[in-house]
Amino acid sequence: MRLLRASKGNYQFHLGEREKHVFCEVLGLYPCIPPAHQPLSKNAKLPDGEVNQHLLDEALAEQRAENQKLLQTFLSDPLRLVAIKKQGDDGFRLTLSPAELEWLLQILNDIRVGSWLKLGSPEEPRLVLNAATMPHVWAMEASGHFQVQLLAAVEKRDAGS
Amino acid sequence: MAEIAAPEVRPGTVETVEDKPELTRDPGYLVICWNDPVNFMDYVTHVFQRVFGWPRVKAEFHMLQVHEQGKSILARESLEKAEHYVHQLQKHSLHATMERDE
Repeated sequence: MRLLRASKGNYQFHLGEREKHVFCEVLGLYPCIPPAHQPLSKNAKLPDGEVNQHLLDEALAEQRAENQKLLQTFLSDPLRLVAIKKQGDDGFRLTLSPAELEWLLQILNDIRVGSWLKLGSPEEPRLVLNAATMPHVWAMEASGHFQVQLLAAVEKRDAGS
Repeated sequence: MAEIAAPEVRPGTVETVEDKPELTRDPGYLVICWNDPVNFMDYVTHVFQRVFGWPRVKAEFHMLQVHEQGKSILARESLEKAEHYVHQLQKHSLHATMERDE
């Protein structure tokens, strides 16, 4: 994934054939974080704690469902990833508005954090690779790769503005 | 793709700039972000900027506090506002909670 242009209006990226495949595959894993995963508070001293926890879980579940719908639209849009046939630069053009980029960052981070949770939330950066862990390690690393590219694009645009 | 843009814009910079969190004594709910080894430092900084409308320097300060001290108090707010911020941070998959300031 290579940033071609970052302006106020939009971001344009180049993705190679295999990278485009990985991009779509990894996005297809959303959502990875289990529902009702996060507590609102670490102690029980909040007023109406249970009710508020329930409301938070509900709000996050609604957002997850909405994101799934948007992701389906995103991935099935033929104009989203446009094939480019240029000598020496074959691949795909991905164009994102700033809001879409923000949204993608959220989606990718859900996949990254959710995969890490499936690995047992390891503290060590070095992960044990075996048949059981490999899919989650792959998802964590692949989503992280795209996150880094998107964040770099935002930084570049902010530095230029 | 306007459909995608819609839900993201609401909690973004425009809205949160208006109600910047203030570390005042009153009322008394702390919005806390906790360290984890999975979220990228740049991502955490980015989310703080977006959710609170902070400049990069302030967002980085709190990100480093999370990283080095295990947590950072991001805001002291009313119950409703603290809930709003925790929701926004959790929506971005950050480890955030709210605690009563005692």
